Amino acid sequence: MWESALDGRRLRFHLAGINNQNFIMQDEETGTWWQQVNGRAILGPMKGRQLKLIPADIVAFGVWKLDHPRGRVLAPDPEIEARGDEYAQSDWERNMARRRVVTTLPKGSPFEPRTLIVGIAVNGHAKAYALTELRASRVLLDVVDGRPVLIVAADDGKSVRVFDRRVDGRALEFAATPNSVAIVDGAGSAGGKTAVPRAPVLIDLDTASEWDFAGRATSGPFAGKTLARLPHLLEYWFDWQTYWPKTDVYKPWRPTPKAVDRLEVPKPAS
Amino acid sequence: MRRLLWVLVLLAAVTAVTVVAIPTLTIMPFKPQTTRILEIAYPLRQLAPRVTLVCLVIVTGGALFLLRGPRQPAALPRGRTLRWFRQPLVRHVARGVLLTALVAATGVVTWFCRQNHFEWMFNPLPNVKYVDVGATKSFLTDDEMVMGIEVNGLSLAYPVRQMAYHHVVNDMFGTTPVVVTY
Repeated sequence: MWESALDGRRLRFHLAGINNQNFIMQDEETGTWWQQVNGRAILGPMKGRQLKLIPADIVAFGVWKLDHPRGRVLAPDPEIEARGDEYAQSDWERNMARRRVVTTLPKGSPFEPRTLIVGIAVNGHAKAYALTELRASRVLLDVVDGRPVLIVAADDGKSVRVFDRRVDGRALEFAATPNSVAIVDGAGSAGGKTAVPRAPVLIDLDTASEWDFAGRATSGPFAGKTLARLPHLLEYWFDWQTYWPKTDVYKPWRPTPKAVDRLEVPKPAS
Repeated sequence: MRRLLWVLVLLAAVTAVTVVAIPTLTIMPFKPQTTRILEIAYPLRQLAPRVTLVCLVIVTGGALFLLRGPRQPAALPRGRTLRWFRQPLVRHVARGVLLTALVAATGVVTWFCRQNHFEWMFNPLPNVKYVDVGATKSFLTDDEMVMGIEVNGLSLAYPVRQMAYHHVVNDMFGTTPVVVTY
Protein backbone atom coordinates (compact mmCIF):
# COMPACT_ATOMS: atom_id res chain seq x y z
CA MET A 1 0.00 0.00 0.00
CA TRP A 2 1.44 3.30 -0.95
CA GLU A 3 0.59 6.94 -0.92
CA SER A 4 0.31 7.66 -4.60
CA ALA A 5 1.20 11.34 -4.69
CA LEU A 6 4.70 12.54 -5.51
CA ASP A 7 5.77 16.15 -5.93
CA GLY A 8 2.19 17.16 -5.28
CA ARG A 9 0.91 15.15 -8.23
CA ARG A 10 -1.42 12.17 -7.95
CA LEU A 11 -0.31 9.08 -9.83
CA ARG A 12 -2.77 6.48 -11.09
CA PHE A 13 -1.39 2.98 -11.42
CA HIS A 14 -2.12 0.03 -13.64
CA LEU A 15 -0.81 -3.48 -13.71
CA ALA A 16 1.98 -3.44 -16.31
CA GLY A 17 4.13 -6.49 -16.00
CA ILE A 18 5.92 -8.88 -13.74
CA ASN A 19 9.46 -9.05 -12.45
CA ASN A 20 10.43 -12.36 -10.90
CA GLN A 21 6.92 -13.08 -9.65
CA ASN A 22 6.44 -9.62 -8.20
CA PHE A 23 4.35 -7.38 -10.33
CA ILE A 24 5.27 -4.11 -11.97
CA MET A 25 2.86 -1.21 -12.11
CA GLN A 26 2.92 1.75 -14.43
CA ASP A 27 1.60 5.20 -13.65
CA GLU A 28 -0.54 6.90 -16.31
CA GLU A 29 0.98 10.29 -15.68
CA THR A 30 4.64 9.56 -16.45
CA GLY A 31 4.72 5.99 -17.75
CA THR A 32 7.24 5.03 -15.08
CA TRP A 33 7.51 1.39 -13.97
CA TRP A 34 7.28 0.74 -10.23
CA GLN A 35 8.01 -2.47 -8.36
CA GLN A 36 5.06 -3.58 -6.22
CA VAL A 37 6.98 -5.10 -3.33
CA ASN A 38 8.97 -1.99 -2.44
CA GLY A 39 7.20 0.93 -4.14
CA ARG A 40 10.34 1.96 -5.97
CA ALA A 41 10.48 3.27 -9.54
CA ILE A 42 12.75 0.96 -11.50
CA LEU A 43 12.53 2.39 -15.04
CA GLY A 44 11.24 5.54 -16.61
CA PRO A 45 11.17 9.27 -15.91
CA MET A 46 10.81 8.81 -12.17
CA LYS A 47 13.40 6.06 -11.83
CA GLY A 48 14.80 5.82 -8.31
CA ARG A 49 11.90 7.60 -6.65
CA GLN A 50 10.20 5.94 -3.71
CA LEU A 51 6.52 5.86 -2.82
CA LYS A 52 5.63 6.39 0.83
CA LEU A 53 4.58 3.17 2.49
CA ILE A 54 1.25 2.92 4.25
CA PRO A 55 1.65 0.08 6.75
CA ALA A 56 -1.01 -2.56 6.36
CA ASP A 57 -2.39 -4.92 8.96
CA ILE A 58 -2.52 -8.29 7.24
CA VAL A 59 -4.78 -10.42 9.39
CA ALA A 60 -7.93 -12.48 9.25
CA PHE A 61 -11.08 -10.39 8.79
CA GLY A 62 -12.42 -11.58 12.13
CA VAL A 63 -9.32 -10.20 13.85
CA TRP A 64 -9.43 -6.91 11.98
CA LYS A 65 -13.07 -6.38 12.87
CA LEU A 66 -12.23 -6.44 16.58
CA ASP A 67 -10.17 -3.31 16.21
CA HIS A 68 -12.30 -1.59 13.60
CA PRO A 69 -15.98 -2.28 14.25
CA ARG A 70 -16.91 0.79 12.22
CA GLY A 71 -14.48 0.08 9.41
CA ARG A 72 -15.29 -0.20 5.72
CA VAL A 73 -14.51 -3.10 3.42
CA LEU A 74 -13.83 -3.08 -0.30
CA ALA A 75 -16.86 -4.45 -2.12
CA PRO A 76 -16.27 -7.02 -4.87
CA ASP A 77 -17.16 -6.11 -8.42
CA PRO A 78 -20.58 -7.68 -9.06
CA GLU A 79 -19.73 -8.69 -12.64
CA ILE A 80 -16.55 -10.48 -11.67
CA GLU A 81 -18.28 -12.09 -8.73
CA ALA A 82 -21.01 -13.32 -11.05
CA ARG A 83 -18.40 -15.02 -13.18
CA GLY A 84 -17.85 -17.44 -10.35
CA ASP A 85 -14.29 -18.61 -10.70
CA GLU A 86 -12.44 -15.31 -10.91
CA TYR A 87 -12.52 -14.42 -7.24
CA ALA A 88 -12.77 -18.10 -6.43
CA GLN A 89 -12.55 -18.85 -2.77
CA SER A 90 -9.33 -20.75 -2.60
CA ASP A 91 -6.61 -21.41 -0.19
CA TRP A 92 -4.06 -19.18 -1.87
CA GLU A 93 -1.21 -21.04 -0.27
CA ARG A 94 -2.24 -24.34 -1.79
CA ASN A 95 -2.84 -22.81 -5.19
CA MET A 96 0.48 -21.01 -5.36
CA ALA A 97 2.28 -24.13 -4.19
CA ARG A 98 1.33 -25.81 -7.45
CA ARG A 99 3.27 -23.32 -9.55
CA ARG A 100 6.87 -23.72 -10.52
CA VAL A 101 9.54 -21.75 -8.72
CA VAL A 102 11.75 -20.11 -11.33
CA THR A 103 14.13 -17.97 -9.32
CA THR A 104 17.19 -19.90 -8.23
CA LEU A 105 18.23 -19.88 -4.62
CA PRO A 106 21.87 -19.72 -3.59
CA LYS A 107 23.47 -22.91 -2.33
CA GLY A 108 22.99 -23.66 1.31
CA SER A 109 19.72 -21.79 1.47
CA PRO A 110 18.25 -22.24 4.94
CA PHE A 111 14.73 -22.86 3.69
CA GLU A 112 12.94 -24.62 0.90
CA PRO A 113 11.75 -22.13 -1.74
CA ARG A 114 8.12 -22.41 -0.69
CA THR A 115 8.64 -22.13 3.05
CA LEU A 116 6.35 -19.42 4.39
CA ILE A 117 8.23 -16.80 6.31
CA VAL A 118 7.48 -13.60 8.18
CA GLY A 119 9.85 -11.00 6.78
CA ILE A 120 10.84 -7.84 8.58
CA ALA A 121 13.01 -5.05 7.23
CA VAL A 122 14.34 -2.31 9.51
CA ASN A 123 16.52 0.41 7.97
CA GLY A 124 17.48 -1.84 5.11
CA HIS A 125 18.28 -4.81 7.34
CA ALA A 126 16.10 -7.78 6.59
CA LYS A 127 15.35 -10.86 8.63
CA ALA A 128 13.14 -13.83 7.93
CA TYR A 129 11.33 -16.00 10.46
CA ALA A 130 9.89 -19.36 9.49
CA LEU A 131 6.14 -19.34 10.05
CA THR A 132 6.29 -22.84 11.51
CA GLU A 133 8.65 -21.50 14.15
CA LEU A 134 6.27 -18.69 14.98
CA ARG A 135 3.28 -21.00 15.10
CA ALA A 136 5.09 -23.30 17.50
CA SER A 137 6.07 -20.60 19.98
CA ARG A 138 3.34 -18.04 19.17
CA VAL A 139 5.63 -15.24 20.27
CA LEU A 140 9.12 -14.53 19.00
CA LEU A 141 11.44 -11.92 20.44
CA ASP A 142 14.40 -10.62 18.52
CA VAL A 143 16.56 -7.62 17.74
CA VAL A 144 16.78 -6.43 14.13
CA ASP A 145 19.28 -3.69 13.36
CA GLY A 146 19.32 -2.73 17.02
CA ARG A 147 15.55 -2.56 17.21
CA PRO A 148 13.91 -4.94 19.69
CA VAL A 149 11.00 -6.62 17.95
CA LEU A 150 8.12 -8.79 19.01
CA ILE A 151 6.35 -11.07 16.55
CA VAL A 152 3.07 -12.58 17.58
CA ALA A 153 0.71 -14.91 15.74
CA ALA A 154 -2.96 -15.48 16.40
CA ASP A 155 -4.36 -18.96 16.69
CA ASP A 156 -5.21 -19.10 13.01
CA GLY A 157 -1.49 -19.28 12.38
CA LYS A 158 -1.63 -16.62 9.69
CA SER A 159 -2.69 -13.37 11.39
CA VAL A 160 0.68 -11.99 12.39
CA ARG A 161 1.62 -8.69 13.95
CA VAL A 162 5.06 -7.26 14.59
CA PHE A 163 5.75 -4.65 17.24
CA ASP A 164 8.64 -2.61 18.54
CA ARG A 165 8.85 -3.89 22.11
CA ARG A 166 10.23 -0.75 23.67
CA VAL A 167 8.10 1.07 26.23
CA ASP A 168 9.38 4.27 27.80
CA GLY A 169 12.75 3.64 26.22
CA ARG A 170 13.28 0.14 27.56
CA ALA A 171 12.91 -3.12 25.72
CA LEU A 172 10.46 -5.50 27.32
CA GLU A 173 10.45 -9.26 27.22
CA PHE A 174 7.15 -10.94 26.54
CA ALA A 175 5.57 -14.33 27.00
CA ALA A 176 2.40 -15.70 25.48
CA THR A 177 -0.58 -16.20 27.79
CA PRO A 178 -2.82 -19.23 27.50
CA ASN A 179 -5.44 -16.90 26.02
CA SER A 180 -5.49 -16.50 22.34
CA VAL A 181 -7.02 -14.47 19.58
CA ALA A 182 -9.12 -17.37 18.51
CA ILE A 183 -11.37 -17.75 15.56
CA VAL A 184 -14.01 -20.07 16.90
CA ASP A 185 -17.26 -21.51 15.73
CA GLY A 186 -20.18 -19.39 16.57
CA ALA A 187 -23.44 -18.16 15.20
CA GLY A 188 -23.76 -14.92 13.41
CA SER A 189 -21.36 -14.52 10.52
CA ALA A 190 -20.90 -16.28 7.21
CA GLY A 191 -19.20 -19.64 7.64
CA GLY A 192 -20.39 -19.85 11.21
CA LYS A 193 -17.15 -18.48 12.63
CA THR A 194 -16.61 -15.45 14.78
CA ALA A 195 -13.68 -13.97 16.63
CA VAL A 196 -13.48 -14.10 20.39
CA PRO A 197 -13.63 -10.64 21.98
CA ARG A 198 -10.33 -9.13 22.98
CA ALA A 199 -8.35 -11.24 25.42
CA PRO A 200 -4.85 -10.55 26.61
CA VAL A 201 -2.43 -12.63 24.62
CA LEU A 202 0.85 -11.38 25.99
CA ILE A 203 2.33 -10.64 29.33
CA ASP A 204 5.51 -8.69 29.82
CA LEU A 205 8.08 -10.13 32.18
CA ASP A 206 9.09 -6.78 33.67
CA THR A 207 5.77 -5.70 35.14
CA ALA A 208 3.37 -8.55 34.40
CA SER A 209 1.13 -6.15 32.51
CA GLU A 210 -1.20 -7.89 30.12
CA TRP A 211 -1.25 -6.92 26.45
CA ASP A 212 -3.76 -7.70 23.72
CA PHE A 213 -3.20 -8.61 20.09
CA ALA A 214 -3.34 -4.95 19.10
CA GLY A 215 -0.32 -4.25 21.29
CA ARG A 216 -2.35 -2.42 23.94
CA ALA A 217 -1.71 -3.03 27.61
CA THR A 218 -5.04 -3.89 29.24
CA SER A 219 -3.87 -4.23 32.83
CA GLY A 220 -0.90 -3.67 35.10
CA PRO A 221 1.52 -0.73 35.43
CA PHE A 222 1.62 -0.24 31.67
CA ALA A 223 -2.14 -0.21 31.21
CA GLY A 224 -3.12 2.14 28.44
CA LYS A 225 0.21 2.05 26.63
CA THR A 226 0.47 0.78 23.07
CA LEU A 227 3.41 -0.83 21.36
CA ALA A 228 4.48 0.67 18.05
CA ARG A 229 3.62 -1.52 15.11
CA LEU A 230 6.14 -2.52 12.48
CA PRO A 231 5.33 -3.60 8.93
CA HIS A 232 6.02 -7.15 7.87
CA LEU A 233 5.41 -9.43 4.94
CA LEU A 234 4.14 -12.97 5.06
CA GLU A 235 5.34 -14.73 1.95
CA TYR A 236 7.42 -17.44 0.38
CA TRP A 237 11.10 -17.66 1.15
CA PHE A 238 12.12 -17.52 -2.54
CA ASP A 239 10.17 -14.30 -2.98
CA TRP A 240 11.69 -12.66 0.11
CA GLN A 241 15.15 -13.79 -0.91
CA THR A 242 14.80 -12.23 -4.36
CA TYR A 243 14.26 -8.79 -2.89
CA TRP A 244 16.43 -9.16 0.17
CA PRO A 245 19.37 -11.26 -1.00
CA LYS A 246 21.37 -10.46 2.16
CA THR A 247 18.56 -11.25 4.55
CA ASP A 248 19.29 -12.71 7.95
CA VAL A 249 17.44 -15.77 9.05
CA TYR A 250 16.11 -16.43 12.53
CA LYS A 251 17.71 -19.53 13.96
CA PRO A 252 16.14 -20.66 17.19
CA TRP A 253 18.35 -22.38 19.71
CA ARG A 254 18.00 -26.12 19.73
CA PRO A 255 19.76 -28.50 22.06
CA THR A 256 22.33 -30.57 20.20
CA PRO A 257 21.60 -34.25 20.46
CA LYS A 258 24.24 -35.95 22.51
CA ALA A 259 25.13 -39.59 22.42
CA VAL A 260 23.46 -41.42 25.26
CA ASP A 261 25.98 -42.19 27.97
CA ARG A 262 25.40 -45.84 28.54
CA LEU A 263 26.36 -47.06 31.95
CA GLU A 264 27.84 -50.46 31.63
CA VAL A 265 26.74 -52.58 34.51
CA PRO A 266 29.37 -55.23 35.06
CA LYS A 267 28.14 -58.70 35.66
CA PRO A 268 28.45 -59.63 39.31
CA ALA A 269 31.26 -62.00 39.97
CA SER A 270 29.69 -65.38 40.41
CA MET B 1 12.85 -0.58 -57.31
CA ARG B 2 10.41 -3.33 -56.48
CA ARG B 3 13.10 -5.29 -54.80
CA LEU B 4 13.92 -2.34 -52.61
CA LEU B 5 10.29 -1.97 -51.67
CA TRP B 6 10.06 -5.64 -50.79
CA VAL B 7 13.04 -5.28 -48.50
CA LEU B 8 11.50 -2.22 -46.89
CA VAL B 9 8.16 -3.94 -46.36
CA LEU B 10 9.77 -7.04 -44.88
CA LEU B 11 12.01 -4.95 -42.66
CA ALA B 12 9.09 -2.90 -41.40
CA ALA B 13 7.02 -5.99 -40.64
CA VAL B 14 9.88 -7.69 -38.80
CA THR B 15 10.64 -4.52 -36.86
CA ALA B 16 7.05 -4.12 -35.76
CA VAL B 17 6.75 -7.74 -34.65
CA THR B 18 10.10 -7.70 -32.86
CA VAL B 19 9.45 -4.47 -30.98
CA VAL B 20 6.26 -5.98 -29.57
CA ALA B 21 7.41 -9.57 -29.18
CA ILE B 22 10.51 -8.89 -27.10
CA PRO B 23 8.83 -7.22 -24.12
CA THR B 24 5.79 -9.50 -24.34
CA LEU B 25 7.75 -12.72 -24.33
CA THR B 26 10.30 -11.70 -21.71
CA ILE B 27 7.96 -10.17 -19.18
CA MET B 28 5.94 -13.19 -18.29
CA PRO B 29 5.22 -14.98 -15.04
CA PHE B 30 7.23 -18.12 -14.31
CA LYS B 31 10.15 -16.79 -16.31
CA PRO B 32 13.09 -15.08 -14.67
CA GLN B 33 13.75 -11.42 -15.48
CA THR B 34 17.09 -9.68 -15.23
CA THR B 35 17.82 -5.98 -15.00
CA ARG B 36 19.17 -6.10 -18.55
CA ILE B 37 15.99 -7.65 -19.89
CA LEU B 38 13.88 -4.98 -18.23
CA GLU B 39 16.15 -2.19 -19.44
CA ILE B 40 15.59 -3.41 -22.98
CA ALA B 41 11.90 -4.18 -22.61
CA TYR B 42 10.89 -0.86 -21.09
CA PRO B 43 11.92 1.48 -23.92
CA LEU B 44 10.58 -1.01 -26.48
CA ARG B 45 7.25 -0.96 -24.73
CA GLN B 46 7.15 2.82 -24.71
CA LEU B 47 8.17 3.11 -28.36
CA ALA B 48 6.01 0.28 -29.67
CA PRO B 49 2.78 2.23 -30.32
CA ARG B 50 4.50 4.80 -32.52
CA VAL B 51 6.97 2.44 -34.17
CA THR B 52 4.30 -0.11 -35.07
CA LEU B 53 2.08 2.58 -36.54
CA VAL B 54 4.85 3.82 -38.80
CA CYS B 55 5.68 0.24 -39.79
CA LEU B 56 2.02 -0.44 -40.52
CA VAL B 57 1.85 2.52 -42.87
CA ILE B 58 4.98 1.34 -44.68
CA VAL B 59 3.82 -2.26 -44.90
CA THR B 60 0.31 -1.40 -46.02
CA GLY B 61 1.41 1.22 -48.53
CA GLY B 62 4.15 -1.00 -49.86
CA ALA B 63 1.84 -3.99 -50.06
CA LEU B 64 -0.75 -2.07 -52.07
CA PHE B 65 1.91 -1.08 -54.56
CA LEU B 66 3.56 -4.48 -54.75
CA LEU B 67 0.26 -6.30 -55.14
CA ARG B 68 -0.19 -4.84 -58.55
CA GLY B 69 2.57 -7.00 -59.86
CA PRO B 70 5.51 -6.07 -62.07
CA ARG B 71 4.84 -3.70 -65.01
CA GLN B 72 6.47 -6.05 -67.44
CA PRO B 73 6.23 -9.67 -66.61
CA ALA B 74 9.50 -11.58 -66.86
CA ALA B 75 10.22 -12.61 -70.45
CA LEU B 76 9.51 -16.20 -71.26
CA PRO B 77 12.65 -18.10 -72.09
CA ARG B 78 12.38 -19.22 -75.69
CA GLY B 79 10.99 -22.61 -76.36
CA ARG B 80 10.48 -23.48 -72.73
CA THR B 81 7.43 -23.67 -70.56
CA LEU B 82 7.54 -22.10 -67.18
CA ARG B 83 7.66 -24.24 -64.09
CA TRP B 84 4.37 -24.20 -62.20
CA PHE B 85 5.64 -21.97 -59.46
CA ARG B 86 6.81 -19.40 -61.95
CA GLN B 87 3.45 -19.10 -63.66
CA PRO B 88 2.22 -15.52 -63.44
CA LEU B 89 -1.02 -16.52 -61.75
CA VAL B 90 0.73 -18.58 -59.11
CA ARG B 91 3.18 -15.78 -58.47
CA HIS B 92 0.36 -13.32 -58.20
CA VAL B 93 -1.47 -15.43 -55.64
CA ALA B 94 1.70 -16.10 -53.68
CA ARG B 95 2.47 -12.41 -53.65
CA GLY B 96 -1.02 -11.67 -52.43
CA VAL B 97 -0.88 -14.22 -49.66
CA LEU B 98 2.52 -13.08 -48.42
CA LEU B 99 1.66 -9.40 -48.49
CA THR B 100 -1.66 -10.02 -46.76
CA ALA B 101 0.13 -12.00 -44.08
CA LEU B 102 2.66 -9.21 -43.56
CA VAL B 103 -0.03 -6.56 -43.33
CA ALA B 104 -2.06 -8.75 -40.97
CA ALA B 105 0.91 -9.51 -38.71
CA THR B 106 1.89 -5.85 -38.55
CA GLY B 107 -1.71 -4.88 -37.94
CA VAL B 108 -2.07 -7.36 -35.11
CA VAL B 109 1.02 -6.19 -33.28
CA THR B 110 0.08 -2.55 -33.81
CA TRP B 111 -3.22 -3.27 -32.09
CA PHE B 112 -1.75 -5.56 -29.43
CA CYS B 113 0.82 -3.10 -28.15
CA ARG B 114 -1.96 -0.63 -27.44
CA GLN B 115 -3.69 -3.12 -25.16
CA ASN B 116 -2.78 -3.93 -21.61
CA HIS B 117 -2.81 -7.71 -21.87
CA PHE B 118 -2.11 -8.06 -18.18
CA GLU B 119 -5.46 -6.46 -17.51
CA TRP B 120 -7.12 -9.10 -19.67
CA MET B 121 -6.13 -11.65 -17.09
CA PHE B 122 -6.64 -9.44 -14.06
CA ASN B 123 -9.38 -6.93 -14.74
CA PRO B 124 -8.90 -3.68 -12.91
CA LEU B 125 -11.67 -2.84 -10.51
CA PRO B 126 -14.00 -0.50 -12.43
CA ASN B 127 -15.75 1.08 -9.45
CA VAL B 128 -14.15 1.29 -6.06
CA LYS B 129 -16.90 0.88 -3.49
CA TYR B 130 -16.93 0.03 0.19
CA VAL B 131 -19.45 -1.49 2.54
CA ASP B 132 -19.74 -1.43 6.31
CA VAL B 133 -18.16 -4.21 8.32
CA GLY B 134 -21.61 -5.55 9.10
CA ALA B 135 -22.62 -5.82 5.46
CA THR B 136 -19.93 -8.23 4.33
CA LYS B 137 -21.68 -11.51 5.02
CA SER B 138 -22.38 -12.26 1.40
CA PHE B 139 -18.75 -12.18 0.28
CA LEU B 140 -16.39 -12.40 3.22
CA THR B 141 -15.93 -14.85 6.09
CA ASP B 142 -14.08 -14.15 9.32
CA ASP B 143 -11.12 -16.34 8.55
CA GLU B 144 -10.33 -14.80 5.17
CA MET B 145 -7.27 -12.57 5.09
CA VAL B 146 -7.62 -8.84 4.62
CA MET B 147 -5.19 -5.97 4.38
CA GLY B 148 -6.26 -3.26 6.77
CA ILE B 149 -5.10 0.32 6.58
CA GLU B 150 -5.87 3.53 8.41
CA VAL B 151 -5.86 6.67 6.31
CA ASN B 152 -7.19 10.10 7.18
CA GLY B 153 -9.13 8.74 10.13
CA LEU B 154 -10.73 5.98 8.06
CA SER B 155 -10.28 2.25 8.67
CA LEU B 156 -10.40 0.23 5.48
CA ALA B 157 -10.00 -3.45 4.76
CA TYR B 158 -9.08 -4.93 1.40
CA PRO B 159 -9.80 -8.66 1.16
CA VAL B 160 -6.76 -10.49 -0.15
CA ARG B 161 -8.95 -12.64 -2.39
CA GLN B 162 -10.08 -9.59 -4.36
CA MET B 163 -6.67 -7.93 -4.30
CA ALA B 164 -4.99 -11.08 -5.59
CA TYR B 165 -7.21 -10.73 -8.63
CA HIS B 166 -7.15 -6.99 -9.28
CA HIS B 167 -3.62 -6.43 -7.98
CA VAL B 168 -4.01 -2.65 -8.04
CA VAL B 169 -6.72 -0.39 -6.64
CA ASN B 170 -6.41 3.39 -6.85
CA ASP B 171 -8.40 5.53 -4.44
CA MET B 172 -8.44 8.88 -2.71
CA PHE B 173 -9.23 9.54 0.93
CA GLY B 174 -9.72 13.20 1.59
CA THR B 175 -6.58 14.72 0.16
CA THR B 176 -4.55 11.52 0.35
CA PRO B 177 -4.41 9.45 -2.84
CA VAL B 178 -3.57 5.83 -2.20
CA VAL B 179 -2.68 2.83 -4.32
CA VAL B 180 -3.50 -0.51 -2.75
CA THR B 181 -1.44 -3.35 -4.13
CA TYR B 182 -1.06 -7.04 -3.68
